[in-house]
Amino acid sequence: MLKCLKTLSWLAVVLLLCQHAQLLADIEKGEQLYRQCQGCHSIGPDAPNGFGPQLNGVFERDAGSVAGYDYSPAFEKTVGQGLRWNNTSMDEFLEAPMDSIRGTRMAFPGVKNADDRKELIEYLKHIGLDGELPLTKKVKAIRKKAQAKISPLPAETLIPQHGVLHLGRAALDEEILAWDIDIRPDGAGLPEGSGSVVDGTELYDNACAACHGIFGEGSGRWPVLAGGQGTLTEERPEKTIGSYWPYLSTVFDYVRRAMPFGNARSLSDDDVYAITAYLLFLNDLVEEDFVLSSENFNSVRLPNEANFIADNRQQEMPAADAAEPCMSNCLPQPARVTQRARILDVTPDSNDDESDTVAIE
Amino acid sequence: MDGGKVSEKTANHKTVNRDNGGHNSQTPHSAGVSRRKLVKSALTLGISGAAGLTGLKAAAQPDRQPDPLITDIQDWNRYLGDGVDARPYGHPSPFEKNIVRRDVAWLTADSKSSVNFTPLHALDGIITPNGLCFERHHGGIAEIDPASHRLMINGLVDTPLVFTMEDILRFPRENRMYFLECAANTGMEWRGAQLNGCQYTHGMIHNVMYTGVPLKYLLAEAGVKTSGKWLLPEGADPSHMTRSIPLEKGLEDCLVAFKMNGEALRPEQGYPMRLVVPGWEGTMWVKWLRRIEVGDKPWHQREETSKYTDLLEDGTARRFTWEMDVKSVITNPSPQAPITHGRGQMVATGLAWSGHGKIKRVDVSVDGGRNWQHARLDGPSYSKSVHRFYYDFAWDGHPMMLQSRAIDEFGRVQPTKDQLRAARGVNSIYHNNSIQTWLVGKDGSIENVEVS
Ligand code: HEC
Ligand code: HEC
Repeated sequence: MLKCLKTLSWLAVVLLLCQHAQLLADIEKGEQLYRQCQGCHSIGPDAPNGFGPQLNGVFERDAGSVAGYDYSPAFEKTVGQGLRWNNTSMDEFLEAPMDSIRGTRMAFPGVKNADDRKELIEYLKHIGLDGELPLTKKVKAIRKKAQAKISPLPAETLIPQHGVLHLGRAALDEEILAWDIDIRPDGAGLPEGSGSVVDGTELYDNACAACHGIFGEGSGRWPVLAGGQGTLTEERPEKTIGSYWPYLSTVFDYVRRAMPFGNARSLSDDDVYAITAYLLFLNDLVEEDFVLSSENFNSVRLPNEANFIADNRQQEMPAADAAEPCMSNCLPQPARVTQRARILDVTPDSNDDESDTVAIE
Repeated sequence: MDGGKVSEKTANHKTVNRDNGGHNSQTPHSAGVSRRKLVKSALTLGISGAAGLTGLKAAAQPDRQPDPLITDIQDWNRYLGDGVDARPYGHPSPFEKNIVRRDVAWLTADSKSSVNFTPLHALDGIITPNGLCFERHHGGIAEIDPASHRLMINGLVDTPLVFTMEDILRFPRENRMYFLECAANTGMEWRGAQLNGCQYTHGMIHNVMYTGVPLKYLLAEAGVKTSGKWLLPEGADPSHMTRSIPLEKGLEDCLVAFKMNGEALRPEQGYPMRLVVPGWEGTMWVKWLRRIEVGDKPWHQREETSKYTDLLEDGTARRFTWEMDVKSVITNPSPQAPITHGRGQMVATGLAWSGHGKIKRVDVSVDGGRNWQHARLDGPSYSKSVHRFYYDFAWDGHPMMLQSRAIDEFGRVQPTKDQLRAARGVNSIYHNNSIQTWLVGKDGSIENVEVS
């Protein structure tokens, strides 16, 4: 046994000798659950800090101790008062981070299910300071073996009637319902439901404000969602839902399909109605007592709708004039340099100067 | 080195024979003479005077030592290398370790909704190696077991269908070569020269041989209703990427691809399957493709309203700007690949492409667009694929303003930066296909500049 302990790591002993399959299953589930944290945190060799600190070996290191990460004053204060990470403190924190540490920057509603928290904690505990999950390969191989079932031959060998080559199978209504979540400007695809600006305020503050700012002004380089009206012809236009987007349906559709970043499809339909109503409010398009619903959705228009035009690039001068281009003496005098990239100095590997640069979107 | 030593060497038969600079006029034996003749005839064969001059200078240097890389036995000449079991999946030489995709951290808030760039300056030919194809995703790389992947077709069809990967592999396949360019490629340059490197200014493009099933076969299986006019492909990643595509395009040349350059798609390129939308902006080539809906109107999704619409100077914005216009760039030399050999014979090479079809011609200018020469197109010429061009010339050692200008088979000419700005302003972000200028200094260093 002693020899075994030497040759196998602790987890392998647990795994192979003690048959502690439950723990393994928890770690695995925890790894899945951790995905909702990935929008802000990273784990892995050389994991960088993101919006939140990297979480390598978070149980082994002291709370609030990642070098180069700027913790909120509230978090620093709690650490000063003796916060250490253990099963209990982590469980309490993850259940409702913003209640547990008032003023924390971790604007995340929390993991409400106690089993989920337990599994997440098991996973976080086993991540080493090097960002590796010990023996993941072995664990995965064993899991694969356990899962490998011989798939039975299809009972019916009847060739389906549809189509030309008769490949694929008919989709079930439940399957279409699960995936077909797109919404069109005419309201096609909208689910039943409703939500108020008031409800949206709380939802937004909890799930969105960390990145998009309390007023939709965007924190750091995260997208701006509100304001910017009247700036489209200015030197630095600010393109937001209120200033640029043509249709409200896009807001509902996009928030439902992709937000919050790192935890997509986690909002209920009523939540999305409420948040959409709140985003209208942040853009000064509705009053505080507004309630958005499947009934009144089509009556809301965004101000910039009329300013979108069809692609007419081919009528532009350079494209339209497909004459033979000039080959010699095309400029009246020798060309001279009018701008140099070196002056800006924003190319990676050179100095980190972010001033006056145009970002892609 | 003193002259005495040199003449001692020249007198030594063996040394002279090994010496690459054997056309030394002091060499007495006949082999030396014939080499001298060779050099002479090379000169008369039209290699420029500048190259000849450099050659003569070297010949006149009296103190040349034999190259130890030739005279000494090197480790790799003697000791055995790795066996066939060492590299089950091959990788580039360690000496190529700097040739990688690179990102520009300040462009976006987060690396999981971001972009990196193909190292165009170091590549040749027309195929982009799979591991160097630039990446753009909106929710990180989805890692999908093909056995857990499904493709659904629903909407205005006779029979909504679900396909497994296995089903897809039972359809007739085709192989086609296409470029994929992000609409925001060169988007950082609208206001002026900004990034110093072809990788950064033009690296949101790759060119790949796809193996896939023509989309029309999949649609025929479900049976598109006559009211069907638009398609909405959707990805399985956390952004659930969607774009509206007219049905005609889907029937014309779109593919559902599962192989790139012969091997499975890379996860970052949409493994196990992606949509290929030839000639059209990269964001429409939905990766991790899991669903295609047929409808009668476009959906106006986030990536075709908030993004990928082109704001013009008067505050209006173009939408559904799908085609990638005719464009080219000199990839080498360029800021990351300066000229290190001095004046004389050299190769300038680059890529040209058009989302409308084939490239007919590429012109190159060394004086900032005042005078132009035809470049040489080489390699296969496919519609909506990149074309490789070369301009072979002798550099006189003076500063140059290198430009390339592509013309496609329909006579569309790549515009200048000023022409494009005059037509659109500087806030369009997307579809910047203007002519690029590289300023070459006397020392061979190169900078991204604008000229007029
Ligand atoms: C919206 C972004 C966001 C999400 C999502 C998020 N976090 Fe955080 N997290 C943060 C920020 C920001 C901090 C730093 C707290 C502070 O400075 O107030 C933090 C801190 C932490 C810490 C303390 C780290 C330390 O160094 O002591 C832990 C542990 C943690 N988060 C775990 C999680 C877990 C587990 C999840 C997923 C269930 C998660 N977080 C989801 C933003 C986030
Ligand atoms: C962890 C940070 C984060 C959180 C939390 C978050 N978002 Fe986002 N949001 C992003 C990023 C990053 C993008 C851009 C994604 C892209 O371009 O692919 C984005 C894009 C958006 C956009 C589109 C912006 C535009 O101009 O096109 C909207 C609308 C949006 N988010 C709404 C929300 C809402 C509503 C919530 C809360 C339910 C939320 N977001 C939570 C990071 C976040």
